[in-house]
Amino acid sequence: MNRRETLRLMGGATAMSVAGLPRLSWADTPKEMVTVVKIAGIPWFNALEKGIQKGAKDFSINASMVGPANVDPAQQVKLLEDLIAKKVAVIGLVPLDVKVCEPVLKRAQAAGIKIITHEGPEQEGRDWNVELIDSVRFGEVQMERLAKDMGGKGEYVVYVGTLTTPLHNKWADAAIAYQKKNFPDMKLVADRFPGADEIDTSQRTTQDVIKAYPNLAGILGFGSNGPIGAGNAVRQQRLQKKIAIVGTVLPSQAKALINDDIIREGFLWNPTDAGYAMVAVASLVLNGKPITDGVEVPGLGKASVDVAGKQIKVDKIMRINKETVDGLIAGGL
Amino acid sequence: MPDSLKAPSVKAALARFRRSHEFWLLAVILVLCAGLGAANPQFLTMQNLFDLLTSYAFVGILALGLLVVLIAGGIDISFTATASVAQYVALVIANAYGANWFSLFAMAIGTGVALGAVNALFVQKLRIPSIIVSVATLNIFYGLLIFVTGGKYIYSLPDWFATGIFWFEFDWGPTSSYGVNLQILILGIGFLVTWLLLNRTNIGRQVYAMGGNPDAAQRLGFHTFRLNMLVYCYMGAMAGAASLVQAQLAQSVAPTVLVGKELDVVAAVVLGGASLAGGVGTVLGTFLGLALLAVLQNGLILLGVSSYWSPLFVGLVILISVSVTAWSQRERRARRVRA
Repeated sequence: MNRRETLRLMGGATAMSVAGLPRLSWADTPKEMVTVVKIAGIPWFNALEKGIQKGAKDFSINASMVGPANVDPAQQVKLLEDLIAKKVAVIGLVPLDVKVCEPVLKRAQAAGIKIITHEGPEQEGRDWNVELIDSVRFGEVQMERLAKDMGGKGEYVVYVGTLTTPLHNKWADAAIAYQKKNFPDMKLVADRFPGADEIDTSQRTTQDVIKAYPNLAGILGFGSNGPIGAGNAVRQQRLQKKIAIVGTVLPSQAKALINDDIIREGFLWNPTDAGYAMVAVASLVLNGKPITDGVEVPGLGKASVDVAGKQIKVDKIMRINKETVDGLIAGGL
Repeated sequence: MPDSLKAPSVKAALARFRRSHEFWLLAVILVLCAGLGAANPQFLTMQNLFDLLTSYAFVGILALGLLVVLIAGGIDISFTATASVAQYVALVIANAYGANWFSLFAMAIGTGVALGAVNALFVQKLRIPSIIVSVATLNIFYGLLIFVTGGKYIYSLPDWFATGIFWFEFDWGPTSSYGVNLQILILGIGFLVTWLLLNRTNIGRQVYAMGGNPDAAQRLGFHTFRLNMLVYCYMGAMAGAASLVQAQLAQSVAPTVLVGKELDVVAAVVLGGASLAGGVGTVLGTFLGLALLAVLQNGLILLGVSSYWSPLFVGLVILISVSVTAWSQRERRARRVRA
C-alpha cells in the first residue's frame, strides 16, 4: 500500500471485542516491541496503534508504535537503526520499500532481534509476516459477490490504484482468474483501469467506460476510492439498476452509496486487528511457542501458516453492507 | 504578447494566428477529435463534452492561475496544497456554522489568497527562486493540514453544496439530463476573468512586461512587489475556487488526494505555449493545452486502448504536438534567413 491509499483507507479505530482471551503473565519485566509504520499520524495507523496498545495490555509486552513524518523509506531505516541501538526485543515493521529495509533488518536479526512485518510478504530479513487477509481469497470473495449480483453473466471492468500497486493487482489477478474459472459467461471487457485511489479520477474513468462499453453490468474497484468514484458516476447517470459495484471501501465513506444500493457490498480489513495481531505473534515468538499451520493466534482465531515462507494469515475479511455499515461506523471506521 | 497589440485588420490577425503556437495545437486537437469521432460516435456528443468540461474543471481553473504566475516569470507548485487547505477550511466552517454559496467561496478564495501572499512575500522580499519557495510552502501547507486534521476525510457536506447547481437543464436520452453545473460555471468564469485580466487591463500588460524582463520593469518604475503579490494571490484565489469545484464533484473533502496533481496542471499550461522563462503565454493556449490532455485521456478509454498503453500514447501525442510547433517555428526562422 502506498501512502495515499493508507491515508485514505481509514477513519478511526475500533477495538474488536476479544472474548475469553487467556492472560499471559510474565515473571520478568515486560519485553519491548516497537513497530515502525509507513507514516505517523494518519487515521489508518492511528487505528493500528490502538490494536498495538490493546495487544500490549493483553500480552504484557511493552509495545509501541513509531513512524516517519512523511513517506520516506530512508527515514524508516533510520528509525530501525535507532531500535537496534536501543536493543528492543521485537521490531514490528510495515515496510515502505522492502529492498531498502532489507540490510538493516538483517543487522537487527544478527543482533538477536525478532522481526514481525505486516503488509510485507516480500520482505527479506523477517521472522514472520502477518496478514489479516489472504490476497487471493480477498480478490475471490469480491468477485464472488459481483458475480452474484450480475447473475454470473455480462461485461465488467476492474479498477486498481495504479497499474503497479502490488496488493491491488494481486487482488485483481485473483479475482479475474476466479471469474474465468467459475463464471465463464462473465467477460472482462478491458484491461484494468488505474486511478482507484482518487475519487474524481475513478468518477471520470467510469463516465468514459459507460460510454465505451454500453453493455457494462459490473464494476469491481480495488483501491478504496474506486467504488466511491464509480458510484458517484453511476448515480449521476441513474444506472444503478444496470451496473453493480463491488469493491474495497471505507465504511463511513461508502455509507450513502451502500444504503442506496449502488455499491452492493464493500470489503476491507481492520487495521486495529492488524496491530493487535502483530503483538500477538510477537508474544508467541517471545514465549518460544511453535508456530505451525492452524496455530491459534490469541484473540484472532486459527491462522494458516506457511512456515517456509514465514507467512501467518488470519482470515479477517470485513464485509461492509447495509446490515453492518452502521455498526462499523459507530466503531470508528 | 497580449492580444491588445494585435494588428487592426482581421486578415492580419488571422495570419498572425496561423503562425502561432495555438494554431498548431488547435490543428492537432481537431485531427485527434475527427479521428476519435470517426472511431466512436460517443465521442462527439454533447454528453461527452459536458462530462469532459466537468471532469477537467479542477485542473483547468488551477491552470489559469498558474498561467498568470508563469507569465509573470515565476512558478508556483504549492497550489495543490493551497487548494487542500482552502477546501478543508471552507467546508469545516460551513459544516459547523452554516454558509451559503457566496460565503463558502469567499472563505475558500480568502484562504487561497492568504497562502498565495505567503509565497509572494518570500519570492519578492527575500529573492528566493519561486520554485524553491513553492516546494517549501507546498510541504508546509500540506504538512500543517495533515497535522491538524489527522488526514481525516469529510464525507458529510451541506446539502445545498452536495446538490450543487444545475442551470439550463436539458434532457439527454431517457435517463440522463445535462446542464451547466458548478464545475462548468466556475471554469467559465475563471477563463473570462483571466482573459480580461491579461488582455484588457493595465495590470495584465505589466505582468507580461515583468515576466519578459524583470529588471527593465523595475527600472521603468513598475511596482514589482505589488505585481508579484497580485499574481501569487491570484493563483491562490484560483486554487481556492478550484478546490470547491473538486469537493463538489467528489462529494467529499479529502486532504490527501490533491497534492501530487501539480504536474497535470503544469503540463496543460506549458503545452498551451506558456514559457517557464516568463513573459509568454495566452489564455487560449492554456485552454487548448487542457483540451488536448482531456481529449487524449477520454479518447483512449473510448477507443478501448489498454490502460497499460495509455501513458505511452499520451506522451507521444504531447511530443508530436510540441514538435509540430517547434518545427513550424524553425521553418519560419529559416524562411526569414533565406529572405
